[in-house]
Amino acid sequence: MPVDSFKYLPGSIAAYYRNLAVQRQEPIPWTPLRKPVREARFALVTTAGIYVKGVEPPFDAERERREPMWGDPTYRRIPSDVRQDQIGASHLHINNRDLLMDVNIVLPVERFRELETAGDVGSLAPTSYSFMGYQNNTAEWREKYIPEVAGLMKDEAVDVALLTPA
Amino acid sequence: MPVLARGLESLGLSTVIVTNMPYWSEKMGAPRTIGVEFPFGHPLGMPGDRETQLRIIREALRLLDEASGSGGGEVRELEIEWPQPFDEAKRDWQPLEPSPIVKMLIDQRRAQAVQERQEGE
Repeated sequence: MPVDSFKYLPGSIAAYYRNLAVQRQEPIPWTPLRKPVREARFALVTTAGIYVKGVEPPFDAERERREPMWGDPTYRRIPSDVRQDQIGASHLHINNRDLLMDVNIVLPVERFRELETAGDVGSLAPTSYSFMGYQNNTAEWREKYIPEVAGLMKDEAVDVALLTPA
Repeated sequence: MPVLARGLESLGLSTVIVTNMPYWSEKMGAPRTIGVEFPFGHPLGMPGDRETQLRIIREALRLLDEASGSGGGEVRELEIEWPQPFDEAKRDWQPLEPSPIVKMLIDQRRAQAVQERQEGE
């Protein structure tokens, strides 16, 4: 049974997405896994627009309200030992209720700490990352913020990024 | 999300995406993708459902160990049923007030309808 990517979208938005002209660029970049999963270090990345309250600012929802075509391209760092009550949510395109109850549905920090303890993954890096998924123009992501995040990951000796969009 | 995966991958990191929209991974080309038929904002399932969260993560780990990259990107789709009735789930993930872009489109459509009505009079 193939996954229907449009199942939960209102019909008009589904039609809009299906009609978007997307240029598939070949080849697909590929970095082979340098070591087995059991030895690899993981960083988690979500586009759920979450942040740590009182540590880094929320995403700029006010500007998005003024300019609905604009989405905040910046990112936030989330310590991997973050507690649920520290999580704030900026995303204007989803109901944030469930991730404010359990951040692991978009950023599975607790699950990875368990997997690390069990020896199923090498380790979870000290820092996880959060972007805001609503981006009509990804130029700043590509040119500025993704290279920055890749650099931060390398500083923490990360091998693999697990990405969970929201 | 394929933009992030492709970017990180081209800078020397291995990546795996867990998404309810594997369509984008197919369309744009992403290295490794696990697809789940879940509502937006819930790539790993329901809050508190540790078992499902772990099950999906383990599939992602398996894909990382197994995918060779020889055939380009790899998308694996999981058969996990969403626990809510469809109509409820379709409503439940959406923001309490429409997002700015949706609000703008609704306002535009209303203005257009008013204009058409006035022109018809």
